[in-house]
Amino acid sequence: MIDTIERDFREKVCESLRLVPEGYERFRVFTPFALDDGDHLSIILKHDDSDGDRWVLSDEGHTYMHLTYDLEERSLSSGTRQKIIGKALTVHGLQDRNGELLIPVEQGRYGDALYSFIQALLRISDVTLLSRERVHAAFVEDLKAFLVDHIPERHRTFDWHHPRLDPDGTYSVDCYINSDVKQPTAVFGLITDAKVSVATISLMKFEQWGLGIRSIGVFEDQESISRSALARFTDVCDRMFSSLAANRDRLEAHISELLPPSPERGSQAAS
Amino acid sequence: MDILTDREIQELIAEPKQLPTDFGLVALKTRRGSRFAGIDFATTAGNKYFIFLRQSLYNPLAFSAGLGYHLSTRDFRLKRYNGKFHEHTNPLEHETFYDFHIHMATERYQLRGNREDCYAERAGQRFGSLKDAFYCLMDDCNVVLPGPPEQRSLFRT
Repeated sequence: MIDTIERDFREKVCESLRLVPEGYERFRVFTPFALDDGDHLSIILKHDDSDGDRWVLSDEGHTYMHLTYDLEERSLSSGTRQKIIGKALTVHGLQDRNGELLIPVEQGRYGDALYSFIQALLRISDVTLLSRERVHAAFVEDLKAFLVDHIPERHRTFDWHHPRLDPDGTYSVDCYINSDVKQPTAVFGLITDAKVSVATISLMKFEQWGLGIRSIGVFEDQESISRSALARFTDVCDRMFSSLAANRDRLEAHISELLPPSPERGSQAAS
Repeated sequence: MDILTDREIQELIAEPKQLPTDFGLVALKTRRGSRFAGIDFATTAGNKYFIFLRQSLYNPLAFSAGLGYHLSTRDFRLKRYNGKFHEHTNPLEHETFYDFHIHMATERYQLRGNREDCYAERAGQRFGSLKDAFYCLMDDCNVVLPGPPEQRSLFRT
């Protein structure tokens, strides 16, 4: 039984692994490993005399090119994406030669080089799958940290909902600011059209209930929100910030206006 | 996740698309081992599309010319004309080939959880270069360059 399965595994992988001549000292390496659009990894084994006499496996620029179907090329040079790519290159021993990813074949160990190369290319290609979730998660963390820094603990409640009118939390708020002296304020972190629409509905519900809650909307990237969703939200939100990064000072100033005088804030915010 | 039906996909592909500028004259920029060009544009009906061109500096057969549609939540690739630089597999059809090929968005692959344009067909003799791939894209997707036909130039290479 195990032998049969093992043989099937080997046949499946090995049959899909082929080496086909494609010019002088150049071979195309076919593997069964494909990206999310069905395109297989593009791998060339070729002789390379630019850095000594050696054989290398190369993607001939395909990996980065494929990433840019979904991502801005410049976004690969910063933040989480750059770290993931850099780590994949380092861990698996790849070189980035002007956008061409390659790995030298050391001491005739072609199989080891291919194995490392494939792992690295797949890891780098996953940047497109992970990127949006990671960017969203980073924004949520950043906004929460900002609010913790600038609002005393007793004046803020994260994931707030009205205890009596909405016990199930259907119309929840990312952060509820209760200043004692001014109107309470609901803060929404806005990532997607869906989140903007939910925030719009929540604010309309608060209005219907006559809660007198003011509102702040902070977008991860306002330009990524559709016009219709943005228009509806604009009708019900009191103050919007197009992004957190570019509006930290303005958001801080606005929040300070909602809170009691600062002596209390200074000590609380430090906690 | 928005799923477009095959009918919606075909309607988008068939919609007349007049490019606002002579995209053919846009020089390809070189970055990270590839040459790049791209343009966003809207039709008179208000639908927003994008076209992109890519070509490896290391292999002239490694290229892609694509047409996409800007959904409110993400970019949706309608068609993509690829060179011959890797195998392609259609997982549902259990079919693998190594050839110039054309990716096309389908409802069935979206429902399966794949990328919308995971399905591809061999291009046959239709194109063998990025320039010809772009011509095919224009023909298939009702894309028209501005100006009289005799003055419509292709992109500088």
